[in-house]
Amino acid sequence: MKSRFNENQPIFQQIAEMIEDDILNGTYSENEQIISVAQFASTFQINPATAVKGIALLVNEGILYKKRGLGMYVAEGARELIMGKRRTRFFDDLVQKMLDEAYKLELTSEDIIKMIRQKDGR
Amino acid sequence: MNKVNALLECSNLTKNYGKSQAVHNLDIKLEEDTIYGLLGRNGAGKTTLLNMITGGVFPSGGKIQIAGQLLKKGETPQDICYIREKNLYLGNAKVIEILEHASAFHKNWDWSFANELIKTFRLNPQKKIRQLSRGMESLVGNIIGLASRAPLTIYDEPVLGLDVVMREKFYRVLVEDYANHPRTILLSTHLIDEIAMVVERVFIMDSGSILLHDDVDNIRLKSHLLTGNKEAVEEFTKNRQVFYKESYGKGSLSALYDTINETDRRQANKLDISIEGLPLQKFFSYVIEGGQPVE
Repeated sequence: MKSRFNENQPIFQQIAEMIEDDILNGTYSENEQIISVAQFASTFQINPATAVKGIALLVNEGILYKKRGLGMYVAEGARELIMGKRRTRFFDDLVQKMLDEAYKLELTSEDIIKMIRQKDGR
Repeated sequence: MNKVNALLECSNLTKNYGKSQAVHNLDIKLEEDTIYGLLGRNGAGKTTLLNMITGGVFPSGGKIQIAGQLLKKGETPQDICYIREKNLYLGNAKVIEILEHASAFHKNWDWSFANELIKTFRLNPQKKIRQLSRGMESLVGNIIGLASRAPLTIYDEPVLGLDVVMREKFYRVLVEDYANHPRTILLSTHLIDEIAMVVERVFIMDSGSILLHDDVDNIRLKSHLLTGNKEAVEEFTKNRQVFYKESYGKGSLSALYDTINETDRRQANKLDISIEGLPLQKFFSYVIEGGQPVE
């Protein structure tokens, strides 16, 4: 069975990231309700406790909030929060890894900047 | 979610058949409202364990407690719905009669859900059991397991004979119904990758013992496969739990059960060691091959 989840990361973190992506790309706006745990479970065939953990992660970070008896909603300022967090990670994960690999291949930062400009068409 | 209450607890459980030990000093604890996977190869002792838990076979040693009550010889525990791999249904009975029979034993039985499931799985309730294929027979068991909504439901190889569409349907219905009606479910199976998303915790069983029990997400976090130069891998894995090792030429492959942080990753990168995650199936094979308890 093909899964959309990868093996290298706990599923609850991947669930949290899926919700974050949906907030970033505008699928959910602020103060809008996200899908329920039961819907999550049946759509992705995952254990509901895993979905709960992923959602809890975002509640702790102030990205989601709970309305009693109604469900989970996107918090005000959630998009900014995610953006900030992801930018830090972009640098730590992707840029750092790219530089490590580049130095292994004896590329200078000028070489890399040139490559990026070419790719970007600017 | 606070899960502190043990629904079922086995301690020091042993079962001998003549001179051979099917289950050996086994400890297992099931908590409320959790889906567990019991993983093991054929002959690992899974079915013997399940038969003991459900009162069909009496242990040679150790004890079983269900909701704090000691299970005595000859007792069949209440509140457990056990769906065996080999059904013991009467061949001449109709599907609907088997369901009616099962409904009498389970106080939470939901008929409207059962009827919905008959439609979902496209079963003809008027068919006789002996006219069913192996897959359809599995479905009858699965419907009983779901509609019983028992506090503890145990499935032994629930998807035998089912095609991929029906298997996915079963897992989907199971997680959805569990979300709305939390209860404890134990899935005993050798189809590991399929249940990796469905279960919260797993027990890996081999030769009558539990080699590992942990959260699936924890396993995802802690199981790593390292490949690289033999000395480099040895240097990196010093003081860490390696549960499987293999060498090829100057290279070496080691399976590790430990968290790896950013500093570790940088060190590995410098040593030219590649770190990958392990799919549950692969993790399982390495644990079994290693043959040692993993914590």
